[in-house]
Amino acid sequence: MNIPATLESKINEVITHYPVSRRSATMPLLHMIQEHFGFISDEAVTWVASKLEIEPINVLELVTFYPMFRRKPAGQTHIRVCRTLSCAMAGSYALLEKVCKAAGIERHGHDHGNPIAVSKDGKYSIEFVECLASCGTAPVAMSGDDFHEKVTDENIKDLLDSTSSSATVPKLHPPHPREKRIVFQNIDRDGWTNDIDKYLVYGGYEELKKALRTQPADIVNEVKASGLRGRGGAGFPCGVKWGFIKYGGPEPTYLICNADESEPGTFKDRYIIHQDPHQLIEGMIISCFAVQANLAYIYVRGEFPEGAQILEKALADARAKGFLGKNIMGSGFDLEIYVHRGAGAYICGEETGLIESLEGKRAYPRIKPPYFPAVLGLYQCPTIVNNVETLCHVKHIVRMGGAEYAKLGRPNNTGTRILCVSGDVQKPGYFEVEVGSLTMGELINDLCGGSKTGRKIKAVIPGGSSAKVLNATERFKLKEKQPDGSMAEREIGFEDIPMDFDSLAAVGSMAGSGGVIVLDDSRDMVWTLNNINEFYAHESCGQCTPCREGSLWMKKITDRLLAGGGVTGDPAQLKTVADNIAGRTICAFGEACAWPTQSFLAKFRPDFEARASKPVPPPMPPEILPEQLIAHTDIPTLHGPHTEGTHEVIAMAGSTSAADSAISAHEH
Amino acid sequence: MSTETAAPVQLLNVQIDGIWMQFPKGTRVIEACSQAGKFVPRYCYHPRLSSPGNCRMCLIEMGMPKMGPDRKPVIGPDGKAEIGWIPRPQISCAQDVAEGMGIRTDSPMVKECRQGVMEFLLINHPLDCPICDQAGECQLQEFSVEYGNGGSRFLEHKVKKPKNVEVGPRVTLDAERCVLCSRCIRFMKEVAHDDVLGFVDRGSHSTIACHPDRTLDSNYSLNTVDICPVGALTSSDFRFKMRVWFLKETKSVCASCATGCNTIIGSRENIVYRQTPRENNDVNSVWMCDYGRLNFHQLQSPERLTNPTIKGPSGNEITQWEIALSRASTELKRHRGDAVAIIASGSLTNEELFLTRKLGDALGTKLIDIIPRNAEGDKILLSADRNANTAGARLMGVTGGVPGSLLGLISTGLKNKTIKTLIVIGEDATTTLGEEIANAQLILSVSMLPNGTTKLAHLVFPSVGFAEKRGSLVNKDGRLQRLNRAIQAPGAARDDWEIIRDLLHGVSGANGIYMIEDVFKQMAASIPALAGLSLSKIGDLGVPLKL
Repeated sequence: MNIPATLESKINEVITHYPVSRRSATMPLLHMIQEHFGFISDEAVTWVASKLEIEPINVLELVTFYPMFRRKPAGQTHIRVCRTLSCAMAGSYALLEKVCKAAGIERHGHDHGNPIAVSKDGKYSIEFVECLASCGTAPVAMSGDDFHEKVTDENIKDLLDSTSSSATVPKLHPPHPREKRIVFQNIDRDGWTNDIDKYLVYGGYEELKKALRTQPADIVNEVKASGLRGRGGAGFPCGVKWGFIKYGGPEPTYLICNADESEPGTFKDRYIIHQDPHQLIEGMIISCFAVQANLAYIYVRGEFPEGAQILEKALADARAKGFLGKNIMGSGFDLEIYVHRGAGAYICGEETGLIESLEGKRAYPRIKPPYFPAVLGLYQCPTIVNNVETLCHVKHIVRMGGAEYAKLGRPNNTGTRILCVSGDVQKPGYFEVEVGSLTMGELINDLCGGSKTGRKIKAVIPGGSSAKVLNATERFKLKEKQPDGSMAEREIGFEDIPMDFDSLAAVGSMAGSGGVIVLDDSRDMVWTLNNINEFYAHESCGQCTPCREGSLWMKKITDRLLAGGGVTGDPAQLKTVADNIAGRTICAFGEACAWPTQSFLAKFRPDFEARASKPVPPPMPPEILPEQLIAHTDIPTLHGPHTEGTHEVIAMAGSTSAADSAISAHEH
Repeated sequence: MSTETAAPVQLLNVQIDGIWMQFPKGTRVIEACSQAGKFVPRYCYHPRLSSPGNCRMCLIEMGMPKMGPDRKPVIGPDGKAEIGWIPRPQISCAQDVAEGMGIRTDSPMVKECRQGVMEFLLINHPLDCPICDQAGECQLQEFSVEYGNGGSRFLEHKVKKPKNVEVGPRVTLDAERCVLCSRCIRFMKEVAHDDVLGFVDRGSHSTIACHPDRTLDSNYSLNTVDICPVGALTSSDFRFKMRVWFLKETKSVCASCATGCNTIIGSRENIVYRQTPRENNDVNSVWMCDYGRLNFHQLQSPERLTNPTIKGPSGNEITQWEIALSRASTELKRHRGDAVAIIASGSLTNEELFLTRKLGDALGTKLIDIIPRNAEGDKILLSADRNANTAGARLMGVTGGVPGSLLGLISTGLKNKTIKTLIVIGEDATTTLGEEIANAQLILSVSMLPNGTTKLAHLVFPSVGFAEKRGSLVNKDGRLQRLNRAIQAPGAARDDWEIIRDLLHGVSGANGIYMIEDVFKQMAASIPALAGLSLSKIGDLGVPLKL
């Protein structure tokens, strides 16, 4: 295998980023090889294995697990179109067909095992990928490494022959008056650039200097006092998480920034990475100091190639200015941070899945107990995993102090958070607000201009696609703590739900990652759930039984419902499947894939019943295939051992299945 | 003066299904449940491998002591800590018992969990039972009956995966049947030290695979078939040969090397179909190597010697036992002392070797030895000594400190023709001594199969294989273990020990040995290491000897 010297020396350098285990370098090496050769050949798999002194099967395991690694060449320009909910609602399915037509790509016969379709002349290839984290500007696509937003029929040509990327281009519109921009204060800011000099001019890295003059435990206490809750989706109190770390233990502590933003409906970390990377780095260095981690990684999703480059440069610049490396600013604190690119797996957003991925393995989340990251994390050492936005908040907590920060937002739901709204609203986008300062109605109507087409809002998913859907006509009973400390209950409609962690949990959903997806009454709920189910079926890592089998089963059922093959038991069966997944799995992906099904069925049952009216087919042969359920209006009912089946109902014109010949044999 | 005291084993109080019991600290919850008589179903958990907790079949209800505001457990009316039950079910395979833990193995929640997991495992599982070798010992079948919900409501297409894949020279993979428990991957990594298996693809399409440059060719590959809970990994040798419920299972010991892994011989109607390892924590844990496991086909060879023969003008002519033994008696009495040499096999049982030594004594010869059989051993189970009973041969005085040291003298004696009588028992002397054995005036061979020696022998007595005899062996660590008879030998073949006893009888008259237990009695009386033992006292797991 002919690896040019320049590539080999780059590879050798990258391996030094993983001093503890060479196996961790597998993914970066695969990225570099694919960038150079266009794909990962069988030879490359063996080469990487011997370079890292691991078994070839361990490399093959990764190449087949992470969809961004391809084993066959793509076209000269590889196009990725997003298929997940918000982009699908914005027409990405039709867009895909149009791009295929324009590029001369024949896409039939491509499925999960062979997702990339290449045009005959080899110029273009296309892939229908999962959420690219820019739902507010749906539909989005990538052309090579270039990012394209709001792709319409008119600018398909720009997509195919891309000359620019909008990933770093700020959207120059002022924040809404209801916003309070702290973490996002530099996003879309007129005249702002993402380099270190600009950052320093505006007081950058002052908080780091302040932090390094204090004790690590003091910073932990400030974060505890601030009440900061993780912004990645789980909402776990950050100070409590940090409090699990003991100083002076025999093993090193690691900190990992979870920049794998992949929850459908969420698009906030993207902007921090592309437009304000130094805020993240500063927050991260402070956090590492607080938990005494001397080696940290930023795990950035593979679909942010520019983001990864920006972070690499920002880290190099920070290192050059003495904010990273040995004895940072004379404090005696050493820290190295490296960027690690993901390769297309949502499950890497799960903290233990991320840790496994960083160790160079398939992103299989770990069982807890015993593998709590704070005890047995990266390389079985204490590890803190924090979301991008959370780490940025840390910088501001150091700036203003924990108590001051806690005054923002509401008790137990402190600070600000970035809400991302997409779907059927006039002005989708991101908004940084004090937690709980807005109600759902204010967010949708005042900030986003209300429903897009003047139609009524039918449903809202308030916290990323994993969150339970809310029916817009529902009434909720909300228990709230009064100023005098007592609890009072009031009945509200969905428009009055405060957008904070506790209120959204109280109404039976969750604040999650802050990704709000709005659906108006033109939307088919079965179609919506099916789109979400396909996402989870695709992203399931496959480790544990309920999620692996159940996620694909739920997708197949909603596929069949959509296509007209629903039978009367289907809604109940669908609910049973979801009930058998949630709570029974290794990680929260089980809940994530079950809650949409459970909630859509609970809130919109009539929509599903309407699609499930055919009689339940008999379990005994002749078995009925899904195609027959879809195609035929009458299904033979169960026949007993001594009676013949009902012959007249199946008109199997021209079909030649075994079921048909069995039935026709009956008739003779 | 130091006194050694064993570290006290800490016992923890655990409530299982309402009853408080005690278990040593470090007991896995799932094992505690088994010990309490409440078996918890499982696929991915195996007591000798790491626990990934991925099958979710072992979900149970778990609770821990409720803690009061003083951080001490709240004591209930029964004087024990009150249990706060965790609302979510927990797996029992990856946690050890803790003080005050509560476990429910048969609550409605647990039943629902099991039904749910069973349903999920079966939706994509192919309807292969009628053609699947695992039927009858398949955990999918067993747990489906015990814990499943008895019906399917799956109306979709099943996921298709490769079937009948030659993942290794001795192992067949059916990826559709695989439940992705990862036992095989963990075994190859943790026990066989050959990290050659892994998962490829993702989600519901995941499968087990080998990298194309490698294959599952380890000498321990068939253990993955043992531990595979379903019919995904099956033995290619055993494929489609016999339904497992027809197999008679005989506990025995492997005789292919000095380790003596404990086995179960699966046979039916005098044909051995397979061997599987049997648990013995002092010998082989729950494993055995492929070489020993498959080393039984010679029992069914069409070449098996089934009748005694006497060399006549047209070669070895079949005769009757009385005639052959009578001729042997006559011929053996012609020579004594150094004119007689006996070459025995190091895989003969102790009883056979004991009688061999007695035969040698009766003939007055000290030229008696075994042929050492050495090959490359590994650090896992396979011994470099491919004789199963070298230690026994030493104990019985058939060989000395260095096995085979007298073969040189015997070779010289044959070349010089000073050795007139050569008795070969259970071996092929020509492999070491070549055609020079033809110099002997009388070659007497006791053998199961024809070989270079039987071709030249004047008298051939058909004997039996390891699965056709009862007797004892001593392994490389000095452990006395027992072979049990699984099948009858073909034709008129007789047990080696009986043949040697009859030869002895022909040389020195009645010896009062009628049953094999008589042989052992004499052994135990004359060999201090065996004092007080008997064949039945050896038991299924053997007895360590003080050698």
